[in-house]
Amino acid sequence: MLFPTVEFALFFVVVLIVAWSLHRFNGAHKIFLLLASYVFYGFWDWSYVPLLFGLSIFSVLIARQIQASQTKKLQTFWLAVGVTVCLSTLGYYKYTGFLFTSVLELWRHFGRPPAAHLLSPLLPLGVSFFTFHAISLMMDAYRGKLRQTVGVLDALLYVAFFPQLIAGPILRASSFLPQLAVRRNPSAIRVNRALLLIVSGLFKKVVISNLLATRLVEQVFAAPQAFHRTDIVLAVYGYAAQIYCDFSGYTDIAIGCAMLLGYQFPRNFNAPYTAANPQEFWRRWHISLSSWLRDYLYIPLGGSRCSARRVCVNLMITMLLGGLWHGAAWTFVTWGALHGLYLVIHRGWTAVAWPPVVRLRKTAAWRWVSCILLFHAVCLGWVFFRAPSFGIAFALLQQLASPGAATLATFPVLLALLAGLFGQFQPLRWRRAAECEASRWPALVSGAAFAVAIFTIELLGPSGVAPFIYFRF
Amino acid sequence: MKPTRFSSLSQLTLVLSGFAAAVLLLESQGLAIWAERLEVGHGRAAAVWTTSVMERTLAPLGIDEFRGELLADLYRLGWTDDPALLNGGMRDESRPNTSTVVLRPSGPGAIVRRQAGSRSQALSHGSVDRLAASVPTLTPLQPLPAAADGHARVVALVGDSMMAVGLSDGLIQQTASNPNVRVLKAFRSGTGLARPDVFDWMQEYPAMIGNAHPDAVIVAMGANDAQGFVEDGKVLPYGSPEWIGAYWQRTAAFLGLLTDNGARVVWVGLPPMRSGKFNEKIAEINRIAYDVVSRNPQATWWNPQSLIGDQSGQYREFGIMPDGQAARLRAADGIHLSDPGAMLLVPSLLQWLNAPSQVVTAQLSRAHTNTIKQPNAASRR
Repeated sequence: MLFPTVEFALFFVVVLIVAWSLHRFNGAHKIFLLLASYVFYGFWDWSYVPLLFGLSIFSVLIARQIQASQTKKLQTFWLAVGVTVCLSTLGYYKYTGFLFTSVLELWRHFGRPPAAHLLSPLLPLGVSFFTFHAISLMMDAYRGKLRQTVGVLDALLYVAFFPQLIAGPILRASSFLPQLAVRRNPSAIRVNRALLLIVSGLFKKVVISNLLATRLVEQVFAAPQAFHRTDIVLAVYGYAAQIYCDFSGYTDIAIGCAMLLGYQFPRNFNAPYTAANPQEFWRRWHISLSSWLRDYLYIPLGGSRCSARRVCVNLMITMLLGGLWHGAAWTFVTWGALHGLYLVIHRGWTAVAWPPVVRLRKTAAWRWVSCILLFHAVCLGWVFFRAPSFGIAFALLQQLASPGAATLATFPVLLALLAGLFGQFQPLRWRRAAECEASRWPALVSGAAFAVAIFTIELLGPSGVAPFIYFRF
Repeated sequence: MKPTRFSSLSQLTLVLSGFAAAVLLLESQGLAIWAERLEVGHGRAAAVWTTSVMERTLAPLGIDEFRGELLADLYRLGWTDDPALLNGGMRDESRPNTSTVVLRPSGPGAIVRRQAGSRSQALSHGSVDRLAASVPTLTPLQPLPAAADGHARVVALVGDSMMAVGLSDGLIQQTASNPNVRVLKAFRSGTGLARPDVFDWMQEYPAMIGNAHPDAVIVAMGANDAQGFVEDGKVLPYGSPEWIGAYWQRTAAFLGLLTDNGARVVWVGLPPMRSGKFNEKIAEINRIAYDVVSRNPQATWWNPQSLIGDQSGQYREFGIMPDGQAARLRAADGIHLSDPGAMLLVPSLLQWLNAPSQVVTAQLSRAHTNTIKQPNAASRR
């Protein structure tokens, strides 16, 4: 079920009404939300609901075993079992095809590859996200961040809660389970904030992202040979705006829906293209994933509390695996490697203690220069992230040397591009002012204004809804 | 009113009420169209009844016309490039659609409006059995006559996601630097011939190609069509004789439209699918398309299964490309072609177009030579 559809709207209104009517009975409320989450997931394909349920219940049992274990050694054993099973499940569904291709590729150097019928499993929707939720549950139990024994119902709902099920944000068990432990407060719902988030998310997805995708990015990335420099540059910038609007739009809607149900999700994006260095970028882009990788991968590897060389290795390993998490292809690995390299270079640059450089780094002008440099480095990464193959990626980069007039620079495309990129520079106080203003309106008017906003978005968006980019991860 | 961050449940109820009332006013037509597009069944019937009552009740307010004018204005301003919005996104009943046209007896290219209830030239129910039991595997593509000097061949790429995913990209990439070929993109994912209520190719195709007159058309569609539909108020379950007759008729009408200006058409058969059940349904679609296309002298039905399938023509996910690289030939859904998979089909289609630039000629001959080395590909073409 996609967020910007009538099906989801009807589903959500029903869930909202029933969930709040059950708020006095927390158990029934959670059982209902759990069932609703399975219906949401089953709407795509019922045959994968047992997988979601099975992985959730497995992680609950392991988390409880960890909590019940008396020795650290035993806890480590159970954690190792749990993480291995979760990662094996993820690996089986997500990387079998990649493995087959790589083996066939190697095999052909030694002879004719076997003509066996190799079939990779179909990829369940959101498997990367719910696997990471399951791991987070076990890790937080292992680290003693969960004060109470993990409840089966709470943990099942934590893994499957529908607003975050398909594409995050990745919640931490330690921050979400306490929310499930208490009844929702019916007099403290941030309705206006939630409605603004949903409208902003829909606008970013349906208008900006879809428009850029259909009228600029898809055309150029499909056949870059057919375009010249100006269109190529526009498409690369366009993809930077598209993926930001697509994914942050999804997150805004998810956070808004959870907020209407009385739950708090963490922020997942914070104006990433305003970052002036790669470290800052990863504190602003897909925050829930980057902090997950930091806490559960980078720090266990040794983090930055080791030799400079080892730190660089840790950064590269983290980003390479981060790239592979996004997709089973060498282009994603390259994207991760580029970002690892950026982080390593940045680390080296910040270590330079020569006074003129230190003074330069503190100037406002340098911040702007580095912001622009970083944006283009990120764009280079997006080329490999978006291109279906290295051939297309290199053809696209090669076409940058081919002068020619822009053919896709229409007024709507340029407007969407500017809105997608520079919308991030809007001051935070504008959003607060909008929420404050909306809260002055009578509730009926707020609801009607929300409907008018959705009507406008529907008019402005291109027909047909492209799936969210992060659904496939 | 004093601003507050938090609202109560009663305020949320009021917000929902205001929202529901405004949505019904603004979107009654949109909801009716949404309901019509649902999969045929009891749920759809209930949704269509409910939303059509709402639409009729609210029609006097004129909001639908207002919405239509806004959409048309957006098109005129260049905000959208979908010409169907010129009539406000509403169906134009004056234009033919796949459920209201039949082939004129005198020629496969012409179309005439069907009189209510008549089924002239449609595959009659009794003749459903006359469809071939299976489609031929070997369907060589004869190159088109060379285009006149200085005349670029205008080729329209038509279809649903079977064209949009992979195949169109490959064809566009390979013709990008060829001055002898001009490509028109006329494909739309999530469409087909079974549900003109969702997307009517008879109306949309002329709008998609505009004033251009393609002299070659490559069609790849049908993967969304294995579903029941409603015709003349009657639900036709997928695969029933009535369904086959109606779908045959729609395919014939659409092919007639494509060949209307003398364009030559190659209709790419659907490749073998991963799911056995779905594969059976797709085989039915292929049989109908083959039957329709083989009756039209301007069109050729082309079976790609010897290139994309395994040695016995069945589904295969992985394969070795002509350049020796291992590749995944099908998308993760087991339905669409991956980019490398599509590239296995492209050389044959380019050869059919017979409009090589020097570069393309070199690529073609190289690809062809490599393909011939593949025992399960070219040897059975």
